[in-house]
Amino acid sequence: MGKAKMKVLVGLLAVLLILPAAAFAAEPFVTTEWLQANLSKVTVLDVRKVEEYNDGHIPGSINVFYGVWGIKKGVLMNELPSDDDLKDILSSAGIEPTTQVVVVSKGETMPLRTDATRVAWTLRYAGVENAAVLGGGIEKWIADKKPLSKDAVKPKAKPYRGKFNKQFLANKAYVLGALGKAVLADVRAPEFFKGEKKMDFVEKAGRIKGAVNLPPGLLYNADNTYKGKAEIEAAAKPIVGADLNKEIIVYCDTGKVCTTWWLALHDLLGYKNVKVYDGSSMEWMADPATPKEP
Amino acid sequence: MKRPSNDLALCGECHQEIAANYKKSLHYTTIGQRNRVIKRMSKEEAKTFDEKVFEKSCRSCHASCGDCHVKSPAIAGVSLGLINKHKFVRKDEGKTCAYCHGGRVYPEYTGEYGGNADVHYQKGMMCMDCHTMDELHGDGKAYQLKEEVRDRPRCTDCHEPGREVKLTARVGHLKHSGSASCYACHSAGEYRQCFNCHGGHSEAKPGFYIGTSPRNHREITTLRIIPTVRDTFKPQGIRQANFDALPNYWDAPIHNIRKRTERTRNCDTCHEDRKGFLTMETLLKDSSRVNLELIKKPKPIPVSQ
Repeated sequence: MGKAKMKVLVGLLAVLLILPAAAFAAEPFVTTEWLQANLSKVTVLDVRKVEEYNDGHIPGSINVFYGVWGIKKGVLMNELPSDDDLKDILSSAGIEPTTQVVVVSKGETMPLRTDATRVAWTLRYAGVENAAVLGGGIEKWIADKKPLSKDAVKPKAKPYRGKFNKQFLANKAYVLGALGKAVLADVRAPEFFKGEKKMDFVEKAGRIKGAVNLPPGLLYNADNTYKGKAEIEAAAKPIVGADLNKEIIVYCDTGKVCTTWWLALHDLLGYKNVKVYDGSSMEWMADPATPKEP
Repeated sequence: MKRPSNDLALCGECHQEIAANYKKSLHYTTIGQRNRVIKRMSKEEAKTFDEKVFEKSCRSCHASCGDCHVKSPAIAGVSLGLINKHKFVRKDEGKTCAYCHGGRVYPEYTGEYGGNADVHYQKGMMCMDCHTMDELHGDGKAYQLKEEVRDRPRCTDCHEPGREVKLTARVGHLKHSGSASCYACHSAGEYRQCFNCHGGHSEAKPGFYIGTSPRNHREITTLRIIPTVRDTFKPQGIRQANFDALPNYWDAPIHNIRKRTERTRNCDTCHEDRKGFLTMETLLKDSSRVNLELIKKPKPIPVSQ
């Protein structure tokens, strides 16, 4: 066999080996059609309440309630569990670093929709290489007349040995140090960004000094599914810039809603240095010493 | 017919054994609640209590078959409605149990009461994975208090001491066996406390209290505030002559269990910082004098250990 032929064969073999792996790497926002076609290749993680899961879920999906992934620490809501707890949760769910996970929550309201994105970000933080969310949530799955099951799936526990991506997380001290250097993206509706409105649990209206507004609504279609990559890119670039190496820190009120844009910027658009400020406005606005505006 | 299952005999035509047992169960008689609070009262007051409070309040929603399996009973005048149209629902714990136990226990279990979800809920377990049908329907004996029921779930039914994988866990369990309940160390944190029950109204806030168990003075455990205050039954003419006979805190099996808590991670949380332990300063003001017996001061751990 000539060298040229050998090269072609090796190339073909490489393509054949890579192809199945490529099929597993989903974009961070998947559709009901994609999920149905790929059900056998992914782990569907349903983060609704146990009783909601028992009442009907995507066939084969496992259930670990949202409240386990995003916990209360002191007064702060939606915080990360400690690393050892997180490893335990992943181990008992049988999730490995190479597992392609698709997270499913309810999809109708922003707080419920972002249960899924916060869990997907938490998985990525813990070192899971591929985590996506189902656009439109379980309601879209049902509306599209996809199958449901009442057979609860007990995951097979495996020790989780992923390497944590600590660089995906920012704390208050880090944000203070990044002011004026990183892009601070405030992922709240404009009236909250402008300080015209605030949630009861946030001490003061307003934003982190120097932040830009990246509203979560820019990501969604009318049916609560995610917009396409081109549309999301067109929405993001004028706000956070086109430099994929620029550091971006996203925040919101509690650190949950902003994970929508973390997934979009980091895992969809390829921005390389994006962090979630977990304490978000709840922590920042309660501290008299942090710079704020207006 | 209004509330047809109020007549247990009707359900008993098919479910004979269940109906017969249920008639004697604490869920149905609620006699445990009465027998507890009555100790605060004189004989005369107890008689008034039975007539004016127990039959009209406690007994009014406890608990026909339909109250659990068809429609939520009205609690403080509010019913959460039918569980699934007019159908009987055999088991749907988020409703069949939580429609009544949704004030404290159930939202603590799911973490929705501003805390952390119980590790058992994380693993998909629901009420009846621990609480058996016999416990809910009764076993045919007419118990007077919950503590008399022998067949209640215990942590050790599944988590056998001595089989811990980690040495630190095994030593920790051995050291505290008999002196601290599982909840004292493994409750994740704040749970619902109700204060100041006046004429059916009380206010709820999160709180976390550890102290001596009023039912077992050798053991410390998690405590929940009993919001009965001195004038709770004043509108009914009950002064509670023996108010100080009972504490305002009961040992409570908090349903927000986690493997690791700040107390399991660090001995100093209890032995140095005494975090969460009931103190003179945190004790309810103008509360029962017997509450003082619940204050426990853990000793520092000797340096040699």
